[in-house]
Amino acid sequence: MSVLPLTVAVLVAGGTYLMLQAGLVRIIFGITLLSHGANLMLLAAGVSAWRTEPLGTEGASRSADPLPMAFVLTAIVITLAVTVLMLALARIGGDDDTYQMPDTGEDHHG
Amino acid sequence: MTGAVLPFFVAVPLAAAALAVVLPPRLARAVLVATPLVSTAGAVALLVEHAENPVLVHQVGAFVPGIAIPLVSDTLSAVMLTVTGLTSAVCVAYAVLGGDARLRFFPSLALMLTAGVNGALLTGDLFNLFVFVEVMLLPSYALIAMTGTWRRLGIGRLFVVVNLLTSTIFLVGVGLVYGVAGSVNMAVLADADHDDPRFVLAVAVVLLALTVKAGVVPMHGWLPRAYPATSGTVMALFSALHTKVAIYAIYRIHSVVLDGAPDWTLLALGLALLTMLVGSYGSLGEKVIRRSLSWQMVAGVGYILLGLAIGSRLGLAAGLFYMVHHILVMGSLLLAAAAIEQTYRSGQFVRISGLMRREPLLATGTALALLSLVGFPPSSGFFGKVGIVRAAAALDAPERVVVLVVVVVASIGALVAMLRLWREVFWGPSLEEMPSRGSTDTDPIDVPPGTRAPRRLVLPSTVLLVASLGLFLVPGPAWDLAVDAADGLLDVSRYAAEVTGR
Repeated sequence: MSVLPLTVAVLVAGGTYLMLQAGLVRIIFGITLLSHGANLMLLAAGVSAWRTEPLGTEGASRSADPLPMAFVLTAIVITLAVTVLMLALARIGGDDDTYQMPDTGEDHHG
Repeated sequence: MTGAVLPFFVAVPLAAAALAVVLPPRLARAVLVATPLVSTAGAVALLVEHAENPVLVHQVGAFVPGIAIPLVSDTLSAVMLTVTGLTSAVCVAYAVLGGDARLRFFPSLALMLTAGVNGALLTGDLFNLFVFVEVMLLPSYALIAMTGTWRRLGIGRLFVVVNLLTSTIFLVGVGLVYGVAGSVNMAVLADADHDDPRFVLAVAVVLLALTVKAGVVPMHGWLPRAYPATSGTVMALFSALHTKVAIYAIYRIHSVVLDGAPDWTLLALGLALLTMLVGSYGSLGEKVIRRSLSWQMVAGVGYILLGLAIGSRLGLAAGLFYMVHHILVMGSLLLAAAAIEQTYRSGQFVRISGLMRREPLLATGTALALLSLVGFPPSSGFFGKVGIVRAAAALDAPERVVVLVVVVVASIGALVAMLRLWREVFWGPSLEEMPSRGSTDTDPIDVPPGTRAPRRLVLPSTVLLVASLGLFLVPGPAWDLAVDAADGLLDVSRYAAEVTGR
């Protein structure tokens, strides 16, 4: 049963590494990996208690826990929306290096 | 009144946000201002109701208590709904008067933000808290990118990345809590096994994420960089809503889920004191009005957190009173700064000077608000600080000397920093008499003679200041509400019983 924790560990390690890079696109990939890790972590809260179909005839005591699935579904939708927004932000500046402000024709004094 | 009204606090602003997209712009702006006002009125009605009936619960969809997603209102939620509603109404009124609201989607985005805030303040479920915080953040990403200077495009990246990373940590925390305790309903978690280190650590992950969102030192760096890049209106709106909702959630989770966790007092005290010091002195390094103020937002978070760290009835009440004061005064100052920037097209210390004679009303208001921020009478800041200091002095521990000294030292820092802001912007020669410094970037701004901030731009800031002055003249009712709210946090049995239906 150590497959799930190991997968989470690899995803989070990769995500952290990418988040520490300079370019926004890499940071976005990093965030994507991190959120996959988080989603698997949520599943770990329910999958190990996997029993049987949620809507079967065996009654509530043996049916699977639908709540972690609902959590993950919500989280995936939110992350998708924000990832799209960040990709747009990465494009707007023309240069995805976070060390510099995008060159927008305005000087940044003060 | 029954709990069935609670979903409307979320549903009405959301529906209004949808309406604002299709309505003609003028009507959309009317809806924009009216909705937070209606929400505030509803919150006041809740406050009246809570005098007799301290907890109102609605199980969404009428599912079984404990399984359903609950919306819960108690004195603390109702006070927060009232203050955030009032402040957002004033901020969006400034947006309408100042022109930000003319941007195509501004009204519906601001209304969506209101829906998210109301939901986050009312929810009794950790996962739902995550969802409502996201509902707050998504319109904020757009708001930060559509108003303000061009710098916002770079800063928007910082804001989105920090908040998305924090939300992911929050989500991991919620997953861990569910894995350990088998529920994410706060009232059910109140009965969880508090001696289980796994449970406490899981909740700690949730709290860690919230401290980043609140801007607690050492995780504050994003706040003074991100907020000043957007427009003054949006910054005032964010200052009243984002960090304050995070602190509210910290208060709620720490009290209900962790039952006050005394083991952590020292850590929380340390973080609160550090936040106060760094925030108060941070302003000294800034050369622009709103950047200087953004550090005082960080300092305010420290004072509010200090109330929670002290943890006594007096401490919690003082922290909550300080939060109300801070929301009002910070809103007033930021809207005044927005009015200055809009009139003189700059907020840089080198480029503006001598506004005291030019803008008597604005200068008087700003002076009073600055004094309030530091803790002088005659405004709410005085009683805010008095409450914090009294609570700290009543601490029965050797740390109390350190706490008192740091409160005084931090207040002196804030005083010096705010005096500097005052001297640079309001004192000195008038704009026409200022000598040129030989560069178009640092020259005093060239305004047509007789330029004054229009009264409509000064008015919103004054409204919030009057509320703050009112809290000084008649502090009793607000203080009683703060004590009521603190009682609700100290004794969660009623809250838990109502939500779980036992």
